[in-house]
Amino acid sequence: MLVIERDVRLFFQYKFLIIMRAIWFVSQIAFFGLIASQMINVSAVADYFRYYVGGLSVMTLYSAAIFIGFDIYEEAEHGVFEYLLSLPVSRRQLVLGRSIGGGLRSFIYVGPLIAISLFVIGSLNPIAFLISLFALFLFSFGVAGMSITLAVMIKSSDRFDILMGVLDALIVRLSTAMYPLAIVQVANPAYGGAASFNPVSFASDLFRWGTGLDKIITIDNPLLPLLGIVAFFGFFTLFGVVIYGKRIEGGAWR
Amino acid sequence: MAPIIRIQNLTKKFGDVAAVDHLTMDVEEGEILGLLGPNGAGKTTVILMLATVIKPTEGTALVGNYDIRKQPDKVRGLLGIGFQEPKMLWVATPWDVVNWHAKVCGLSTSDRKQRVKDVLNAVEMWDARKKGVHNLSGGMRKRVEMAKVLIQRPKIAIVDEPTAQIDIVGKHKIWNMLLELRDEGSTIILATNELYEADQLSDRVGILHKGKLLVCDTPKKLKDSIVGGDIMDIQLEKDAPASLIDELKGMKEVVDLMQVKPTSVRLYLNMVEEIVPRIMNLFSKREVPITSVRMSEPSLDDVFAHYTGLTIEEAQKDKE
Repeated sequence: MLVIERDVRLFFQYKFLIIMRAIWFVSQIAFFGLIASQMINVSAVADYFRYYVGGLSVMTLYSAAIFIGFDIYEEAEHGVFEYLLSLPVSRRQLVLGRSIGGGLRSFIYVGPLIAISLFVIGSLNPIAFLISLFALFLFSFGVAGMSITLAVMIKSSDRFDILMGVLDALIVRLSTAMYPLAIVQVANPAYGGAASFNPVSFASDLFRWGTGLDKIITIDNPLLPLLGIVAFFGFFTLFGVVIYGKRIEGGAWR
Repeated sequence: MAPIIRIQNLTKKFGDVAAVDHLTMDVEEGEILGLLGPNGAGKTTVILMLATVIKPTEGTALVGNYDIRKQPDKVRGLLGIGFQEPKMLWVATPWDVVNWHAKVCGLSTSDRKQRVKDVLNAVEMWDARKKGVHNLSGGMRKRVEMAKVLIQRPKIAIVDEPTAQIDIVGKHKIWNMLLELRDEGSTIILATNELYEADQLSDRVGILHKGKLLVCDTPKKLKDSIVGGDIMDIQLEKDAPASLIDELKGMKEVVDLMQVKPTSVRLYLNMVEEIVPRIMNLFSKREVPITSVRMSEPSLDDVFAHYTGLTIEEAQKDKE
């Protein structure tokens, strides 16, 4: 709990980042979402604006959860790693705490933005929404775990930054966050295949399902993306524990 | 007393460079062990291995009977560390730093608030408890780092250069805190490159150089191990007779003798406690009046130079 508390408190010290991200989020809705939705008028998406707002919430959650990887470099540079690793806390607790802390803080941050999304989308299925919120929780923990894992595997913060940019292009752009799966498949069946097994797609689809946007784009079975997110979270949490132990305690970060 | 830490063949390599090279030594329960060496000697790497922060390449250590490789969680439960560079990037104030540390170390809420106050008072940081950590001076940061160790009261405290960047008054305060901690039952490992600090505080001193332990013993025995390390300068009222000089030279504890002037004798001695009274008796018996005597004992700097062939400053430059 204390490790989680620490990461949450640390994040909310980045006031500039938080304000800028919020401005970005609102701008995306107010400018890009509104304007782009005027261009899109296909039968696959009856209301692209509301579709986009749902996906944007997940994209923002993803980018906030990724941020913990940058904290790892800051900590390595300032020697805070050494302090954390010397505490009477097991490595498993530490990595789990950090993944959950990284996920939770992004969730807290995105909370008000999700409220804006709900206001814009304007519909809600309470039970489905709670399930989708739970899925978004796990999704943010998984992304935080992935970010921590990659950060401890890559020594240079510059390389990590570039990799995150590339991953963003691959994972977010090749998902259903911004466009429905049917459209992706029409563009290229291989893209469609990749988007079908993408955690960002799982999270976006479940969020839309939870907010009642499945009237715009349906998902056959919400259990499948939910299982996909659970697998994503489980993999990066377990993998993170192993990598953290091997890389950090080996002293490779020094 | 039984050793509380047994270091066995401990080695850490970064690439081809051995930061710590087959280190074997014991730390006795309740002692202050000074680890003395220039920057880069391997002191911090030893500490980080003992704290299970980094894994050894070879060898291991038993800390309170727990193996640092096999039972790292148990080992960390016994240790408290004051780092060389204070680690407080992520929280806002000294109060936050110490309070969070106390929480992690398991202090109950009721106990904690009073202890945080007491400890911050002890390190004279109570008035500055709400200052942003980025606005603290180097000395203040060090004191906050020290407060973390004090609030934890660990079975084994490890402090890495605890008084670097601290003024002389502050140094004495921290030294007293370390001595009190030892007197309350903690075993302390003090890593330092300050010879005076090691000399004043340590029950035993281990000299590290290029990752190897050169020698480990009490400061007194280390100084005594230097042949002719004690110097006795004697000023006389009249010229020293040649027979007296010969007799002095004949004493086995007198390693060397220099006569700068006929009325001035410099003796390089071993086992100074035994030989000085005999020398004084000899002058008295021969009725050669002494006007002044000045004794100087070897410092740990001399000990370091004796074992490495370098002064600690030269060793530091050599490393750079």
